[in-house]
Amino acid sequence: MTLKNQMDPINTAVIVKLEPDFSEGNVSYNPDGTLNRAETKNILGPHSAIAVSAAFYAKVKYGAKIAIGTMGPPMAESILQQAQLMSNADELYLYSDRIFAGADTLATAEVLKAGIQKMQKKIDIVFSGHRASDGETGQTGPQTAWKLGMTFLGHVIDYEINLESRTVRAKRLVRIQGVYDVVEEVESPLPVFIAIDPSYKPKFNTVSQRLDYEKYQKEAVKRAQDFKQYLKVFNAAQIEADPKFIGISGSPTIVYKVERIPKGKATRQAKVIDGSNKEQIREVVTRLLQALSTMAIK
Amino acid sequence: MTEGDYRHVYVVIEHEDGKILQVSLEMLGEARRILNDFNKRYSSKEKVVAVLLGYNMNEIPKTLIQHGADAVICADNPELKYIRNTIYTKAISQIALDRDIAAEIEPEYAVQFKRPRYMFFTADSIGRHLSATVLAHLESGLASDINKLVVADIQLTHQNKTGGKPLIYEKTLEMYRPDFSGFLWTTILCLDNRNPSIQRDYHPQACSIIPGVFETIQPDSNRDGKIIKYVPKFDEQDLKVKIIDRKIIKSEIDFDGHKTIVSFGRGVKDSPEQNIRLVEQLATELDAQIGITLPLSKRPFSVSQTIDSTYLIPDRVIGTSGRKVSPKLYIAVGVSGAMQHIAGMKESEIIIAINPDENALIKDECDVFIKGRMEDVIPVIIEEIKRQKQDVKT
Repeated sequence: MTLKNQMDPINTAVIVKLEPDFSEGNVSYNPDGTLNRAETKNILGPHSAIAVSAAFYAKVKYGAKIAIGTMGPPMAESILQQAQLMSNADELYLYSDRIFAGADTLATAEVLKAGIQKMQKKIDIVFSGHRASDGETGQTGPQTAWKLGMTFLGHVIDYEINLESRTVRAKRLVRIQGVYDVVEEVESPLPVFIAIDPSYKPKFNTVSQRLDYEKYQKEAVKRAQDFKQYLKVFNAAQIEADPKFIGISGSPTIVYKVERIPKGKATRQAKVIDGSNKEQIREVVTRLLQALSTMAIK
Repeated sequence: MTEGDYRHVYVVIEHEDGKILQVSLEMLGEARRILNDFNKRYSSKEKVVAVLLGYNMNEIPKTLIQHGADAVICADNPELKYIRNTIYTKAISQIALDRDIAAEIEPEYAVQFKRPRYMFFTADSIGRHLSATVLAHLESGLASDINKLVVADIQLTHQNKTGGKPLIYEKTLEMYRPDFSGFLWTTILCLDNRNPSIQRDYHPQACSIIPGVFETIQPDSNRDGKIIKYVPKFDEQDLKVKIIDRKIIKSEIDFDGHKTIVSFGRGVKDSPEQNIRLVEQLATELDAQIGITLPLSKRPFSVSQTIDSTYLIPDRVIGTSGRKVSPKLYIAVGVSGAMQHIAGMKESEIIIAINPDENALIKDECDVFIKGRMEDVIPVIIEEIKRQKQDVKT
């Protein structure tokens, strides 16, 4: 028996988000350059997918259980299926209610908190992506963590769990603006909330890990075909979310207006060169080479 | 709520290795300008308050006063040496709600004081998360990645906030946030619910601020300000989160050691693989480092693994979400000129843009605008560079 079978299992949750697909060819813009949301298809957000892969690492390495939750419209069940296919998730949760609509990050975090607390098991680690590609605030993860009373670890690029002491050791990549980057190693007792860094890549080093990896992947295909069997859909009342703290009513912020950013004053007077005129290009090259060589002397 | 419950602007300062981050000084500068105007229009005694946490901070509080703070709340404690989210969040929240501190900042406002009016954080790795958890604790609103701030009295009719009636929200902070494309500005407000059925107060009005957008004020060594010491209370449980190790890493992408930087943006999209190869050739010819715009780091194209892992990486991003550069020569290929990118390269000595669209914003930010498709233009430039270099040799 390996250690992972003797100890209390680790229960993980992942919160994911349905997002517009920003990859080239799939994203549709309005004539004025803004995103055409109606025409752009929706997918499991790329940062959400990385968070799912981080939970899968815990499954392969520590035999962890995985529950995946999302707040969204009924169609968001498709990303739960996608996430299950990636991670062989054991439980799927969709929090869906019209009253959730229009929520800012604080009101979204309130729903996710209530949802995670309603999961079947007491969660040891929650994973979230770094930020969503559409909202881009990166606030929902830490705010959910705070409401759950969990230690928040952001920018996590690697982590290990100690099953005996029930602690996590995580590496975080912290960019200190205009100074340097720092890789920080933190140790924390469970439970923790991990916002995973975009650069995270799980590594499966041992033979037994690779065998488990394959076993779970095979099983995931079967489970995902039958994903509705694993899915629970909850409305506000079912997760006992307080209506005062969710949706528009529970959102401190509003979007007051959206406008095009006015064009600033030109800071430089550009000389316009015709790209098909070789003579003009020759002059540009002469100028830039001269500039570079005189600068070298300086 | 009554008007006097909320006072002052609290600015959460970041520092590293004994030095205040530039962005923190920029935030103080903006807070100063906003409050100078605020003091004239509304109440004259509201203050710019710097919130400073750390260990052995020596001269930092004085420097903050010289840069515009009226008061510095200073929590100097070995447990605060490095930032740990939980204890920092609790300490900042305690400070924000502390009436004794408020009494030291401005006695006249102390009796009624409940919370800060406005609160500024940095939109960086640290401040984005810290602002989120602090505002979750204070249960108020937060706008992230802001690059313009205005204080105004706003008349608003809103189904939820005002119950559909027109109401005036005085001294409201308009927080402008550029969206991911860089072309749209969203104004976010944090407003109390005055609709009787869901009445609730939301203060402070808080935001995180993008580095490099606001000016610092000229430091003045004669400026007066109060330094207020604060002793935070820690929960034993929170101190179990321990920082074991901290390694400083230098980026592998060296921009400063190159006289030329060639960067590319979404304009490579027609045939990304070949176009990025072209950019690579141009860069090789000029011994240049290669940069990208932010959208490219989100890997919007399918390209070969090599191109992807070499170029489409956050480390190469130039702009407010990445690095700030100032080479002798900057060549922008297929870059539209979103303000977030411009902020990172506008200090370059010579800027050349290659772009088929003469209406692209980059045209106003460059010295030479080569109008054309990169597929056509770059090979000619490369050929010409080779020829002219050859001429110099012979």
